Amino acid sequence: MLSLKVGRFLYLAVNWAVLAFLLLPILIIFVFALNPTPYIEFPPVGVTLKWFDKFFASPQFMSALLLSLEVAALTTIAATVLGASAALGIARGNVPGSRLITAIMLSPLMLPAILTGLALFQTYVLMDVGRPLWGLVVGHCLVTVPYVVRTTLAVLHNFDLRLEEAARNLGASPQRTFFEVTLPLIKPGVIAGGIFAFIVSFDQFPVSLFLVSPGQETLPITLFNYLKYDLDGTIGAASVVSILLAALVVIGLDRTVGLRSYVKL
Amino acid sequence: MTEHRTSLSRRQFIAAGAALTAGAIAAPHVSRAQEAATLRITGWGGKWGQVMGAEVVPAFEKEFKCKVVTDTALPFLPKLQASPRSAPIYDVLHTNSNEQWAAVEMGLVEPKIDAKLVPNIADVYPYAVSDKIVGVSIFTSAIGLGMRTDKDYPTPTSWKDLWDARYNGVRGGYVIPVNSLGQAFVPLCGMLYGKGPTDLDAAYAALEKIKPIKLVDFTGAMEKMLLSGEVGMCVLHDSGVNRYYDDKPPTAFVAPKEGVLSLEQVLTITPGSKVKELANAYVNYMLSPDVQKKMAQAVWYSPSNKTVKLDEPYASRLLTTPEKVASLIQVDWKWYNAHKDAIDTRVNRIFRG
Repeated sequence: MLSLKVGRFLYLAVNWAVLAFLLLPILIIFVFALNPTPYIEFPPVGVTLKWFDKFFASPQFMSALLLSLEVAALTTIAATVLGASAALGIARGNVPGSRLITAIMLSPLMLPAILTGLALFQTYVLMDVGRPLWGLVVGHCLVTVPYVVRTTLAVLHNFDLRLEEAARNLGASPQRTFFEVTLPLIKPGVIAGGIFAFIVSFDQFPVSLFLVSPGQETLPITLFNYLKYDLDGTIGAASVVSILLAALVVIGLDRTVGLRSYVKL
Repeated sequence: MTEHRTSLSRRQFIAAGAALTAGAIAAPHVSRAQEAATLRITGWGGKWGQVMGAEVVPAFEKEFKCKVVTDTALPFLPKLQASPRSAPIYDVLHTNSNEQWAAVEMGLVEPKIDAKLVPNIADVYPYAVSDKIVGVSIFTSAIGLGMRTDKDYPTPTSWKDLWDARYNGVRGGYVIPVNSLGQAFVPLCGMLYGKGPTDLDAAYAALEKIKPIKLVDFTGAMEKMLLSGEVGMCVLHDSGVNRYYDDKPPTAFVAPKEGVLSLEQVLTITPGSKVKELANAYVNYMLSPDVQKKMAQAVWYSPSNKTVKLDEPYASRLLTTPEKVASLIQVDWKWYNAHKDAIDTRVNRIFRG
């Protein structure tokens, strides 16, 4: 009985330690964002919203934030469609060399993303297309599609094919079977992959480093350039806004599609 | 008849398709040719970027009826390196001297600016076009010692004071492999404790002795550490103290008796630029007294043009006289870059502990 209590105590202690390890950096960012001094100071000397004012009043930061949201939204749509389709093709298509194709689909995750960005940059330069917005979205898709493929394949792995066969036997067309049987069943994997795609794209730095065009920079790139010259609480405020936006997306999806039912992923 | 019409139709189709394809491929080039000339430059962010974007660049565009596209997203050199030499991504490269030397070694920028095409070069201090400079230096900062004035530290007179044991725990410097100020500090150590700036053994021994030292990678981080009191004595550029002039924090910049290291802002032109006339005009414009004064007073950089008359307190705090300019120590970046890998390996070992 005593050993059970000790074990439970240790279990809880480890969990709290992991939580603290994950959340402390975020807490420091909040302190930096709310502290009046233009540097990190412990203990904080007061509370101010002036860094948030500066962030929201800056046309540079606002255009960067809007561009990041636009790119993340476009990337999420494209990566979700492409990744889910690819996963279906790999799992169902009886494609020769499907393992090799899976490895290729996941390979962008194994490459340093900065090399992916540099390679795409060189390709665009050779194509003489400059650094267009679609080029940035393509770059982000390269590093986000693997997440959608992986999560969708995980669901497809446990998929009961007899459900589709039953629908077809009962007269459903292939399209109707897909939309009314297959898609609802693989939705957890597709949505989880889409969330990953949004967050990875919104925070993407190494790929964007080479692909943003002059005057059109995403928020992570703007933050990086800003902190090279002006390291103050605006960086903290921008980080807080980023964290809250990412949390809002997850909460919003939870409320609309019920993420909690998919936690088994 | 039908066959004839089909054949003709196919030819017409192919011809129309080819014309459309050629048109689509050529369209950007045709439309670009009809646009005003575009000058592609690099530039800094922060206050520099704000003043350039709001005042300096628009005035240049108006005067020269062109469009200036400024890339402020680092890193500039890999992007320039990745673009074809015949069609470089930038026409004018603005960066620090160490990167300019790396660029010229790779053939990415022209080694010198033609003084006949840039008349304002006639008015610059000799250091701005010395053999230690690729292109032309338009501004410089002085790297010296930054200190807290509220800690009862004696005012340092020499760089060697940074090694004083009283600063253990509050001494600040830079991560040498990634920071220009940190890199400039290495040959200085050779000068202070050895036979000269290329005496690396003496420099390494001095770096061993300067520990413990707090190292930062971003230049801007050091002034914040000084402001917060996390460091009390550090290697710092003068603008890192001067820019807080109005706030009067307890910090000061000290120019050691051995001289101050120069941190030059350099402009070069790329060999493959298609708008070289405009590129030269831009360099000349940046060296003009009006622009030099405006930018020097906006960001506390010392102007290269010796005819510029700054207002107070800028004039007394920046390098504005031949005597003050003579205190600049210019780093031989060509030599440094040739030894950079070996230096990086050694200093990483020194500071790893």
